Amino acid sequence: MPQVRIVARNFMDMVAALPSAKLDKLYESSFICEALLRSLPPLAKKYTLQMLFIESPVTAKSMEEWVLPDGFSKHRVAIDRLLQLRIFLELSDRKKETIYLINPKFQSSMQKYLLHGGTLPRESMPLGATVRLLTLEDLEAYAQKQWECFLLQLINSAQAERLTNFSPSMIKVFQRGLLSSRENEVPRLTENGFQFLLMDTNAQLWYIIREYITTSEDRGVDSSDLISFLLELSFHSLAEAYNLNTLDDVQINVIKDLADLGLVKLQQGRKESWFIPTKLASNLAVSLSDSSSHKQGFVVVETNFRIYAYSSSKLHSEILRLFSRIEYLLPNLIVGAITKESLYTAFENGITAEQIISFLQQNAHARVAERIPTVPENVTDQIRLWETDRNRVEMIPSHLYEDFPSKDVFEAACEFAREVGGLLWEDAVKMQLIVRGELHQQMRDFLRRLK
Amino acid sequence: MSSAPSKLYADDVSLVVVLLDVNPFFWAAGASGGNHPAATLPFSKFLKHVIPFLNSLLLLNQLNRVVLIATGTNSCGYIYDSGSSGSEGNNRVPKVYSEILRNLAEFVENDRKVGRGPERVASSVPSLLSGSLSLALCYIQRVFRSGPIHPQPRILCLQASPDGPEQYVAVMNAIFSAQRSMVPIDSCVVGVYHSAFLQQASYITGGVYLKLPQLDGLCQYLLAIFASGLQSRSFLQLPKPAGVDFRASCFCHKKTIDMGYVCSVCLSIFCKHHRRCSTCG
Repeated sequence: MPQVRIVARNFMDMVAALPSAKLDKLYESSFICEALLRSLPPLAKKYTLQMLFIESPVTAKSMEEWVLPDGFSKHRVAIDRLLQLRIFLELSDRKKETIYLINPKFQSSMQKYLLHGGTLPRESMPLGATVRLLTLEDLEAYAQKQWECFLLQLINSAQAERLTNFSPSMIKVFQRGLLSSRENEVPRLTENGFQFLLMDTNAQLWYIIREYITTSEDRGVDSSDLISFLLELSFHSLAEAYNLNTLDDVQINVIKDLADLGLVKLQQGRKESWFIPTKLASNLAVSLSDSSSHKQGFVVVETNFRIYAYSSSKLHSEILRLFSRIEYLLPNLIVGAITKESLYTAFENGITAEQIISFLQQNAHARVAERIPTVPENVTDQIRLWETDRNRVEMIPSHLYEDFPSKDVFEAACEFAREVGGLLWEDAVKMQLIVRGELHQQMRDFLRRLK
Repeated sequence: MSSAPSKLYADDVSLVVVLLDVNPFFWAAGASGGNHPAATLPFSKFLKHVIPFLNSLLLLNQLNRVVLIATGTNSCGYIYDSGSSGSEGNNRVPKVYSEILRNLAEFVENDRKVGRGPERVASSVPSLLSGSLSLALCYIQRVFRSGPIHPQPRILCLQASPDGPEQYVAVMNAIFSAQRSMVPIDSCVVGVYHSAFLQQASYITGGVYLKLPQLDGLCQYLLAIFASGLQSRSFLQLPKPAGVDFRASCFCHKKTIDMGYVCSVCLSIFCKHHRRCSTCG
């Protein structure tokens, strides 16, 4: 899904916006370097690797020789990105030529990583009588439940079975931009909110995390600490226990919030407590570089516009309700229909046809996912047609000119309007013409000159 | 069989199969010193260049996979597969390093046992390139069939020992099947001579052929040239082949020949005129 990349890139912009001292501090951790490196465009990755063991700076000119002429724009993008993230430093040498030097901090932690490997600040706890590990399935189910619970609370706090520990003010922050809350009114999902729901989990997660980080300063948490902790967390081994006493106070608070999101599971033993990272946490850094997540789809769309969604999730039925009419809710199956009316409400809420189609395609059930097209063509065409239905009338502000003194003046005016590309309609008999509004001034000057 | 573009990841996710030449005859030749490449770059140092390169491939993308295949004189074998070993997270690198070393030692030992019979003492015994190429291609075919979406594969040959003309047919067959399944073969020659096989392999499959001018910078060459993914290669200035040695080996004596006789029916190549083709009769 394209949104993941956009959201993730925004996150990287946030990293790039950190002051250089903080950024340099981040680069002391090889895991952050790794996560950042993976988020770079392919060419930038290659340049970084190439420069990794070069101590002396390289001139911009010789670097340009690395690429073919048609790759030059990509080259610029890559270099810009590297400079923004301060992985490359731009200097000028004695001959006033631009030279690039790889950030020494980044270089040394990366070199160390390649040669000796990285070590996490904490070791996983040994399996023993106290630590009983969950199976991967259990852990995934837990993460999913936690996340859906959070989302339900976000969009509709009445529906949620169990509230998360987030303070109402925190939830407000997350809802900002997703819900419109006017005074004395039930909050309604905004256009962005709908689009948010149609995104895949990783993109949603990044959106929330981003909001969480941007407001961290208000809570007295340093944003670079938070970023480094989050990125570090994504490199912890899945489904292994880590002792909570390896964290400092700020991190413990953060980890409690993350447990609410389903990123980690907290468990308590007799003496110690520990956290277990879930798949959501380990996907955090992965989704920065690759957007293709392998989620099990659940939706089957038939040519008769019926939707069968094999899911018991309340969230899924809420999402489907956004653009279809839900007919039956069975224990493991949601049956609905895409109708003109249901789509019109969706369009009014600002969801586009493309979003709906891509949602249906992304979440297609494994049985239909192999088929081409995944969603029947007549359904996708009809969804698009219904969308264009709403845009049948196009409004163009314009001016009507009439009462021309002679046929010649009228024809000259027509000719002029045609030349400037603003003629919309003319009637030679009644000597009337309509021209685009923004050209009125030009038309007036022209007609004045004719007189 | 062939890979549809829709089956690929959006980003440069690659599967790199590295064929490592462990020919003991080549690597031992350096012990006597002199101008031999193995004298400046003994095998242990060679590995120290290669392993950071493997690590950096894994570093580039979470989904990248690296497979290491050893090419011996009598056999070939898988040494390391980043996909199968649960190498995630903590101190991955030392673990990988020790795993590779252990498997290599085991492999070399086995390779020696397989090659019983009269020991050839000649200074240049060719490695079994055809065997390891076939292993790599089989592995790649398995990945192709493994799931709906797979990484983009490529093969990198780190060749040290000279070509074995008697493997001509097998190597060419491997090259053509790589071409058919669109797998580029990159070759990096650390040995003394150019390799005609690998020149042809890279030329036919669209890979990069490079004979290292300087051996101590091996890691830098690997990182700069062979680490780039297939998509970014289209924008990059890569080393171009200066010339390709297209010479074939004759089927009768397995000698590399400039000019020969070709059977008009089955296209077998011979160095001398024969009344009847020994291949098709």
